Amino acid sequence: MILDPGMINPLMAGTPGTLLPQPCVLVIFGAAGDLSWRKLLPAVYNLNVDGSLPSNFAVVGFGIGSQGDPDQWIRNRAKEGITRFSRQAIEDDSWADFERSLFYVEGSFSDLKAYEILKTRLDAIDAQFGVPGSRVFYLSIPPTAVPQAVEHLKTAGMVCDPEDKKSFSRVIVEKPIGRDLQSAREIIEAVGRSFAEPQTYRIDHYLGKETVQNLLVLRFANSIFEPLWNQKYIDHVQITVAEEEGLTQYDPTTGEITGSRIGYYENVGALRDMVQNHMLQILCMIAMEPPWSIAPDDIRDAKLGVLRSLRPLTADTIDKSVVRAQYIDGDIHGHGFPSYRQEVRDDFRRRKQPVPPDSTTESFIAMRLFIDNWRWAGVPFYLRTGKRLPKRSSEVAIQFKDVPQVLFNAKPDVPLEPTVLSLRVQPEEGLSLRLASKMPGPKLRIYPVKMEFNYSNSFGGVSPEAYERLILDVMAGDATLFMRRDAVEAAWKFVMPILETWDNAHARYLPEYRAGTWGPLEADRLIESDGRQWRTL
Amino acid sequence: MSSLAVESQCPVMVPLNCVESELTRQIQAAMGTGDAPVQRARLSNLIVYCEGDEQAAHVNQCVPVLTSLHPARIIFLIAEPGDSDADLVAEVCVSALGSNRQACAEQVTVRAFGRSVDRLPFAVREILVGDLPTNLWWASQQPPALAGPLIFDLAERVEQVIYDSLGWTDPTRGVAATASWIAKFENESSLGPARVRVASDLNWRRLKAWRRLLAQALAPSSAPGALESITELSVEHGPHGVTQAWLLVSWLAARLGWKVKTSKVQPGIEIDWYFQSSSGQVRVAIRRLAEGSPSISRVRLTCAIEDRATCLELRPDRSNRLSAIPVGMGAAPRTISVPELAPGELIGRQLSDRDRDPIFRQSMEVAQALAQSLLH
Repeated sequence: MILDPGMINPLMAGTPGTLLPQPCVLVIFGAAGDLSWRKLLPAVYNLNVDGSLPSNFAVVGFGIGSQGDPDQWIRNRAKEGITRFSRQAIEDDSWADFERSLFYVEGSFSDLKAYEILKTRLDAIDAQFGVPGSRVFYLSIPPTAVPQAVEHLKTAGMVCDPEDKKSFSRVIVEKPIGRDLQSAREIIEAVGRSFAEPQTYRIDHYLGKETVQNLLVLRFANSIFEPLWNQKYIDHVQITVAEEEGLTQYDPTTGEITGSRIGYYENVGALRDMVQNHMLQILCMIAMEPPWSIAPDDIRDAKLGVLRSLRPLTADTIDKSVVRAQYIDGDIHGHGFPSYRQEVRDDFRRRKQPVPPDSTTESFIAMRLFIDNWRWAGVPFYLRTGKRLPKRSSEVAIQFKDVPQVLFNAKPDVPLEPTVLSLRVQPEEGLSLRLASKMPGPKLRIYPVKMEFNYSNSFGGVSPEAYERLILDVMAGDATLFMRRDAVEAAWKFVMPILETWDNAHARYLPEYRAGTWGPLEADRLIESDGRQWRTL
Repeated sequence: MSSLAVESQCPVMVPLNCVESELTRQIQAAMGTGDAPVQRARLSNLIVYCEGDEQAAHVNQCVPVLTSLHPARIIFLIAEPGDSDADLVAEVCVSALGSNRQACAEQVTVRAFGRSVDRLPFAVREILVGDLPTNLWWASQQPPALAGPLIFDLAERVEQVIYDSLGWTDPTRGVAATASWIAKFENESSLGPARVRVASDLNWRRLKAWRRLLAQALAPSSAPGALESITELSVEHGPHGVTQAWLLVSWLAARLGWKVKTSKVQPGIEIDWYFQSSSGQVRVAIRRLAEGSPSISRVRLTCAIEDRATCLELRPDRSNRLSAIPVGMGAAPRTISVPELAPGELIGRQLSDRDRDPIFRQSMEVAQALAQSLLH
């Protein structure tokens, strides 16, 4: 957006590197929901405590489900969520300030009149807080509700022209964007009828994590890595997103179900939930060519180049390159957990809905893929993600090629451990480099050592949550960490053959793995057939 | 603030040439019986220059917070009065960071008496860790511009000098000399053309929230016409807070293109300047309150928003908040959070912030002009 010269503020000059969040009202659709309660409202609270928000700022929740006074209801709910999930403890003064700028408008996403009420309320809040009509709409709602929501926003006159010099309208669209290429395009087009592409921010919270952002810095701010970052020196790459949580939470003492995402997950599965978005986005950051600049579109062009270079999977290759599986009962941290299918049955019974036939939704996926370009020709990228794995751990591991089998690596029966650069995304963000080193002593013994860099040890403090960074970026108009339309479509194009092959297979059973293990044997065979193995996390 | 806990070992006195071996010994001791490796967490070298034990004790209190936020090898230099030229001796202390004790921060204290103060720069050279950015925290209340050759020697290899103009005993002379000193320090680097040197005033960092709130409250998008129509500005401050107020006025004048015309000073009470802006005269007063904290306590601006005369009052509101109140406009106060920063935290953040700030330099040039208008 080019500012009207009359709107230029000389007092803002010298703002360092990052853009400043601009005055606005953040409107959260689905503010009564789980994401808002656990992540969004605590994120905004933390931003406020840290002094990152502008003085002209307010939050308005929109949706159904409030009880009594809507403003008081959302404040109570926000306070509970912040108390439980915020990285910073709630304090009276900070809460009092946050509370006075938090409001709720009760209304259905499908009811145009509710949007008119919302607009009237927003106009009043603008006047109260000195906001020049700028709004960020965070659509934390099911994908099916998105088209109507954006249409009503436009009809109710709440979407500014993208060229407007005084105020802005921006929309944040949560994943999943559709459940296949066709539905993704429908949602993208529906949003596009109300919001121009520069006004649209498709969020993937993984991209807000420090380590993921550090990938670009690591690669392009250090001269030692980029010359090695190619098929000549890299043997393979492993991307793992392991979750110990399943889809259902149980009270540890009573065994009662306390929460469940089965309703969402049953129609989604690991491929749509994790691979199509988070994991392919991380893959792009690892594999992209150096962008022309760090401008958002230059980085997004470079990422798109990776997605377009992915070797398409076909019905013939999918069986050999992709493994899906489901967890059965097992044990994590000394507690027993039921199978995925049992969780589905329990959830449907709890909701008093007819229990479906045994589910074939995958809770685990492992795959091998290739990027057919000059840099990555022949280098396999192994991806694996799953629920109810032994621990919560996400990392990207770059395994370098072995040294020649001479000198220190001359014994084929005792090969040297390969050099591995490991980037931990969670839980402890950081990176490590495994190197071969001589053990002290007269004998020549080589032992792998790890050079560790840990964010919290080196920089101190706790890193902001990904949502904090991303919400600030939207307020500042920086789309670097958000997915562009063409990237979303390219990611769907890549996974569609897998979905179609699975649909056509009509499988009644999937490979199984015990809860608390690292996945099915089939996943091990997938990588072992290449003479490699999954890393132990 | 960081949540990392810091646990220090007892300091051990050693000759200067034994500093490294004693650090290694203490780090090995920190490992205890566990077999987990201990990481030396150090993002930079931090040389801290203090005058006397009292100041050193005060500064030392900042170290745990500072270290948890920005682990560094801290080289404490304490200059004591006297006429001794005895050999310098170092005290070495390692602190474990965090609950798992797997990272350690290092502190070396070097005391110098009388004439041996001149030998401190030599001591520093041998204790610095190579390949790390080096910072000098000039904790003395003497403005660095008036400190003589010692600071030039200590700053020989540093990327950043951090000083604090809060509490300067002769602010007018200090401010008058500082802009030129900054230019000289930053431009005449002995580090070579590839490395940037920067001078940073903690008082400027403390002003961040005031500057931010003023910029937002006067933004043309929400307060049309306000910036061009300012006719009066008054800044009230507690004892020793005059340089902070001075810096804020200098920043506004630099950004809005005001030119100083005349000045008047009532020592210890009020400084007045008359500026020429693009739309007329602006009267600026910096007023000292008899009591209060050594910082700005209120800013009041007279201007017009959409041709409607108004006053904008900025002041701290409850704890950790700063409010801007448009008087008589019927609008809600605009507030921002100002997280309270302990001195160690302020330094810790400054250590990570190594970019030159052209706005600071421009503001210091105006501050210098304001000082000269008072001295002449």
